[in-house]
Amino acid sequence: MKQAIVLAAGEGQRLRPFTVTRPKAMLSIADKPILRYVIESLAANGIRNIVIVIGYRKEQVLDYMGSGEQFGVELTYVTQEAQLGTAHALSQAEDVAEDEFLVISGDNLIEADTISDFVQIKPEALLVKRVNNPVRYGVVNTRDDAVTDIVEKPKEASGNLVNTGIYAFTREVFRFTQSILDIPDVLNDMITGGHTIKFLETAGTWLDVVYPWDILNLNGAVLQGMEASSGGVIEAGVTLKGQVSIGEDTVIRSGSYISGPVVIGSGCDIGPGVSIMPATSIGDNVIISSFTEVKNSVIDDDVSIGTGSILHDSVVGKGCVIKGRFTACSGQSEVRINDEIPSVNVGAMLGEDCTVESSVVAQPGVIVGNYSQIQAMKMISGRIPDRSLVY
Amino acid sequence: MCGIIGYVGERKAQPVLLTGLGKLEYRGYDSCGIAVAAGDGGLEIRKDIGRVKALADSLSSLDGSIGIGHTRWATHGEPSQINAHPQADCAGKIAVVHNGTINNYQRLRNSLTAEGHTLVSETDTEAIPHLIEKYYEGDLLNAVEKALADIDGSYTMIALMSGERKLVAARKESPLIIGLGDGENYIASDIPAILDYTSRVIYLEDDDIAVVTADSVSIRNNGDDISREEHKITWSVEDAQKGGYEHFMLKEIHEQPKVIRETLAECMSTVESTADLAAHGKDVPENVLILASGTSFHAGLIGKYIIEELVKTPVRVEYAHEYNYYGRALAGNKAIVITQSGETTDAFKAIKRLQESGCEVVTITNVVGSTASRLANQTVYTRAGPEISVAATKTHLAQIIALYWLALPYSRMDIRKLDELIMELRQLPVKVQQVLDNQQDILEQALKLAEYDNAFFIGRGINYPVALEGALKLKEVSYVHAEGYAAGELKHGPFALLGTHTPVVAVVARDDTYDAVLTNIKEIKARKSPLLALVEEGNEEINALADSVIYVPKVDPLFSPVVNTVVLQLIAYYIARQRGCPIDFPRNLAKTVTVE
Repeated sequence: MKQAIVLAAGEGQRLRPFTVTRPKAMLSIADKPILRYVIESLAANGIRNIVIVIGYRKEQVLDYMGSGEQFGVELTYVTQEAQLGTAHALSQAEDVAEDEFLVISGDNLIEADTISDFVQIKPEALLVKRVNNPVRYGVVNTRDDAVTDIVEKPKEASGNLVNTGIYAFTREVFRFTQSILDIPDVLNDMITGGHTIKFLETAGTWLDVVYPWDILNLNGAVLQGMEASSGGVIEAGVTLKGQVSIGEDTVIRSGSYISGPVVIGSGCDIGPGVSIMPATSIGDNVIISSFTEVKNSVIDDDVSIGTGSILHDSVVGKGCVIKGRFTACSGQSEVRINDEIPSVNVGAMLGEDCTVESSVVAQPGVIVGNYSQIQAMKMISGRIPDRSLVY
Repeated sequence: MCGIIGYVGERKAQPVLLTGLGKLEYRGYDSCGIAVAAGDGGLEIRKDIGRVKALADSLSSLDGSIGIGHTRWATHGEPSQINAHPQADCAGKIAVVHNGTINNYQRLRNSLTAEGHTLVSETDTEAIPHLIEKYYEGDLLNAVEKALADIDGSYTMIALMSGERKLVAARKESPLIIGLGDGENYIASDIPAILDYTSRVIYLEDDDIAVVTADSVSIRNNGDDISREEHKITWSVEDAQKGGYEHFMLKEIHEQPKVIRETLAECMSTVESTADLAAHGKDVPENVLILASGTSFHAGLIGKYIIEELVKTPVRVEYAHEYNYYGRALAGNKAIVITQSGETTDAFKAIKRLQESGCEVVTITNVVGSTASRLANQTVYTRAGPEISVAATKTHLAQIIALYWLALPYSRMDIRKLDELIMELRQLPVKVQQVLDNQQDILEQALKLAEYDNAFFIGRGINYPVALEGALKLKEVSYVHAEGYAAGELKHGPFALLGTHTPVVAVVARDDTYDAVLTNIKEIKARKSPLLALVEEGNEEINALADSVIYVPKVDPLFSPVVNTVVLQLIAYYIARQRGCPIDFPRNLAKTVTVE
């Protein structure tokens, strides 16, 4: 396989507020968007001709990935104007597709190993993975070495092999994408029409983000494998333990204690006396003031966190300004997302460009919408819409 | 990032190399050079600082139908004639162009010197031709393979040797392609460089070493002979370079959040770090002179408001090209010269003249090691990267950011206010991103203005220069006649031009100019001009006055030029696109003005 078509046009509604300004594929995990992990995995397997299907907030993809040269690949972009389904997305790439190609989702996190065998396979084929809770996914039924059908989110699963959304196709597939919107339906139709769809099982990493707190799970998983590196200035009296990566032009001030795995971007100003615990990712141009503790959290670019704050198991969007004595401790909580109310152990989740004045206490599981303002001394909880003023 | 190219065939190599390098300038353009093997076998190497066109203009015609070339963008260290590529061996018989970094360069240099080689430049690249020279025993490929085995690092390169009718190319990390012609072949960093000549290419992979002659290409990888598939290029030249955008201008507008972040990081490491800023007020200069031209001049005018507001010291802003004709006793003790390219001739003259009168000159430029930076006492680099669109966008915004940072250490402000400002400054990438996220709305409002052949832009206070820049951008890219005015100046004459056929774009800031601008808007509406207002989000009052409104994110009035400028850039872009203009390369304009 020489070419891959990456589907990165989707929004990921259940991930709001984090997907209001960017597609799901551009969610930042350990200081890199999910899409970049996919592209790097393809490159590591020798696939350098990559087509990305973009749509929702497409400029975010263009601005980050550019021509692809930085990642050692050649990128071509095609646009899916309306996000009608995965097969519809794939059909947008018909003009640039070669005879054989890989199709892969840009918003599932994979590693190079996950697809290293699959890239050698002859189409048509499907990559499957064995999971514990198959009912969340498309369950793949098989006979001998071929797929018999795919059942989306069944009430009762007939097996625990699920569809990873990674396929090997020939141009034949475009005969089906004219009329069918989703790829699993395309496969079922192809099987009915006499095509043999092979399958291959992977034991490699394949992670999906569905809810905002899944960002923390993925972040933790990726940080496990990271390597230490250091740019920037580390003042005397700083303790660095485990795998800690620090970007260019970042200053870590005296008395700070950083316990890896932790990744910190470039141009940050951390400390003095800040404690950063595993597994935390911090973006570029972030300020964390004295005596603050951050643990198992994801802090995006341009954030400022005031003195004496506690952030555990939390996600903070781009450009938030959090004044001193902010408290976001973790706890069991039930969070309503659409009609689902899962129970999770999580701290606070703040959308981008929020202003949080001094001494605000966040209840576990609070989700604050983008561009919101929280006045001093407030207790916040539940789900706060975009552009809210809490006073 | 650098761009490299090679040619072997029937034609004269020089024009092929120079045209190709021009197409690779998006990869950088602070210095460039070519090497051609002349008919009698000797190598001719011509290189210099500056852009490809300048080199091309200065060269006499070289004989020879085999050669290599290079264009460079330094991120560290200064570009100079001697450091430019191609680099050669002791005998001047082997020349190499290189895109990459050699990690064990110092060790190689030491051992080569010990073995009697003379290395003259500061580049890591120079080690390669000397290593090839050391290993050469009659077979160039063999020598290159041995040389590369000694190197730890990234080395996409092309080697040329006098007397040999072949080029040896290698790829490690940076891209390299071979273009297949008829009785001629090409090598380049990217496809646009060769697309005028051929659309058949081979992509080299890491560790490939290729021997390219006029009628053959052979490739080896780790000692094995291999073949690589030939691809037919069907897309047009600019697609890849523009990273999915229709024009460089829009791509560069979208790069601005990142550019602000990088420029802030640069300022913090070279000017003053955040923590140190608030800690002191530096000795304030008695007065400051700012010199610039074009878009940089508008940044300078914004700089005047910034410095007078923060530092409370008087600032004069002058065109560099006019200042040179002023009387003698005008310089103060501190001057800031703003030049995007660092190669504006007027600026050099002014810098020298200022220094002669004892003035300390700080230059703000985007090109590391440019002439202006070498002349000035201190340089602040805007880290905007190469800007291809002739109309400046990202470099302008980066200049404004650098001016904020330059002024802050001298601030006479209350420490609480200063803290807030520093915090807001660091948040600007997000605010600019919000303007970009709002592009659909800006597009719709801009299209309402696209049919008019005239437009006025007005602003007051710190947003007056923003109006000037908005008008300049529109003129440059859409050929619409546009004028920028201080809002209060409009009724001193230009009012005679208002009417239903002349739209006005008003930049309304929520500062002490607000009421006055609102009054101006009412006066304009009485003359029936279509009116588009830029105003901070949440403002409802303006709806009753303006025909259309674009909301911008809320920022401190001191930073309002940053968000407003981006809106006006997008307006100019969309109008130009609607009118079918050649946005990236407007008629009659050049990126850098190198004549007086």
